[in-house]
Amino acid sequence: MKVLLIEDEKTLAYEVEAFLKKAFYVCDMAHTARKGLEMLGVNPYDFVLLDLGLPDLDGLKVLQDAKKLNPEAAYIILTARGNIEDRIVGLDLGADDYLPKPFSLLELQSRMQAISRRKFNINTHEIDLGEFKIDLPKRIVSYSGNEIELTRKEFDLLSYLLLHKNRVLTRMQLSEHIWGSFADDDYDSNYIDVHIKNIRKKLNAFAPIDWLETVRGVGYKIRLK
Amino acid sequence: MKLISKLTLFITLSKLAIVLLFVITLPYLIGGIARTYNDYYLRQQQEKVLEIIAKNGVDSYLQGEESYGSYTMLKEEYISLEPVEKDFKIDTIYTDERIIEQDTLNYRVLIHSFPVDSGTYLMEVGKTIDTIDQYNRPLQRIATYVLLALILITLIIDLFYTRYLLRPLGEIINTKIRNRKFPFNEDSIPVKTTTTDFQYLDTSLISLMQQIHEAFAKEREFTANASHELMTPIGILQNKIENLMGEPGVSDIIQERLIGMQHTLNRLKRIVHSLLLISRIENEQFSKKDSLDLAELFADLMDEISHRLSEKEIRFEITISERIMLKKINRDLLFQLFYNLVNNAIKYNKPAGSIRIWDEYPSDGGYILNISDTGIGIPEEEIITIFNRFKKVNQAEESAGYGLGLSIVKSIADYHQIKIGIVSEIQKGTTFRVYFPEDLIISGAMD
Repeated sequence: MKVLLIEDEKTLAYEVEAFLKKAFYVCDMAHTARKGLEMLGVNPYDFVLLDLGLPDLDGLKVLQDAKKLNPEAAYIILTARGNIEDRIVGLDLGADDYLPKPFSLLELQSRMQAISRRKFNINTHEIDLGEFKIDLPKRIVSYSGNEIELTRKEFDLLSYLLLHKNRVLTRMQLSEHIWGSFADDDYDSNYIDVHIKNIRKKLNAFAPIDWLETVRGVGYKIRLK
Repeated sequence: MKLISKLTLFITLSKLAIVLLFVITLPYLIGGIARTYNDYYLRQQQEKVLEIIAKNGVDSYLQGEESYGSYTMLKEEYISLEPVEKDFKIDTIYTDERIIEQDTLNYRVLIHSFPVDSGTYLMEVGKTIDTIDQYNRPLQRIATYVLLALILITLIIDLFYTRYLLRPLGEIINTKIRNRKFPFNEDSIPVKTTTTDFQYLDTSLISLMQQIHEAFAKEREFTANASHELMTPIGILQNKIENLMGEPGVSDIIQERLIGMQHTLNRLKRIVHSLLLISRIENEQFSKKDSLDLAELFADLMDEISHRLSEKEIRFEITISERIMLKKINRDLLFQLFYNLVNNAIKYNKPAGSIRIWDEYPSDGGYILNISDTGIGIPEEEIITIFNRFKKVNQAEESAGYGLGLSIVKSIADYHQIKIGIVSEIQKGTTFRVYFPEDLIISGAMD
């Protein structure tokens, strides 16, 4: 997957690039809108991450021009403006998603994965999860044909952990993914623990799930090859 | 009392006083004039008689008699001449009774002594008081009528003119003071007037409002800009920490430290987010075009919050008696408002306490939603400051509120003209009373 990141804040751009590279994306960077449009004209990209607050051109105008140059790419708007109006206009202009700054890189990857599924029909097949199978678009977890009923939040948690497999996710990161801006500010709360306990209980009825690890004092992790 | 009422009252009363004074003094005045004029008339008569005597001699009157007397048919006037002893001198006018042919009448009498060749004579010219005063009454009446008419005309003119004169003041009060909402975002149109005092008042008010508006706008702009500028470095730090945590070979100790940093950073992020939200609300950047069903809103709210209720084993009871639809509101903001209130009710509740939500219909057509908890309560002296930024109830409490939740509630409420009252009892609980004015309720939806 090829990503173009158009972001004038260089330090931020390097962090995003470093993260995406680790997640096996190929990432190009442009620090001005003009440079970004120029690159879009030359190379094909699957994803364009566009900062709306670029110094040289109006962000929404850049989005329109970029869509003309490369209509196939998926566009994610990154903005510190965070106006609801911007969001609506951005999505109306054909952006696929919208992330207000500051955003979590894990959340960014999760959104990109969701778009991949929707837009490029990738990952439509079932993924192995130990001895279980998970169908992300259909939101089903099954064990040898038996469907296991998970709540919406339980499924979201499991798929988020799976997306970032082999990486510890903290309770805060998990809460923010599940509850967004309504995540609790009380970090010692055990809501996530309750959900994980429920997931374990439901899956354990079929097979042991030692791949779902508790990392003491930190959070949870799915360890898979 | 309004200035116009005071002036009206003053003008009317002062005119009434003048009328009263005039009506009381009028008889004396007219009587006085009649008498003065009569005295002058008597003197004229005297002159005429003396002229005739000087020309024709006193005998032209006496006709050989010793004295002379004459009166008009109804005895209104009389004249008499009679000799007196030599050197007798008198010249006066006074009121006295005279008997003429058995009739006793009151007369104004002029007595004058004068010498002629044959001796000194005394002349009397008299006129009855009744005739002197005969025109007084009608004169008084006419004068009173004329006066009343004039007073009435000037009163009407005065009242109209003061009304006209004071109209700009009313306009200034209406357009500049009443019907204006802090922080005076709309432009002020100067009131048209030629009265310099009002012009001065008006321009002063406009410039004061302008100053307030600018100061407030600057503060909001600063909050918005500062928050916005803070977001980028926060984002960079957050991403750096995330990347660092994903590095292989990061030890558990460092991992724990990184989580600590992440929590602190998250706290910073929340504060900045809240400040930005408040400044956006105050900048009126949210539309107020949504309608919503409160029951649905609370159902959504329960989705977000039920895990917290069950964790603290809090009993939750909601009785919204009828379907209530709100209009001209922003759904996201209203959700945030109730989320913050319910979240507070959980946060400051006792374990295994309860939260009760119920409604009331006040007589003015509004709607009140009460949110009661069985929590720690708010000390009375803190209730007024509870909505201030960075004010946290019970500073010793560990749960981190950062004191912005209720400020957000206040901003959202103010933005929608929703009023919030607080009733609280220490260690018993707190009730937040959210009052929606009639204007925000879709009428008929309750049927």
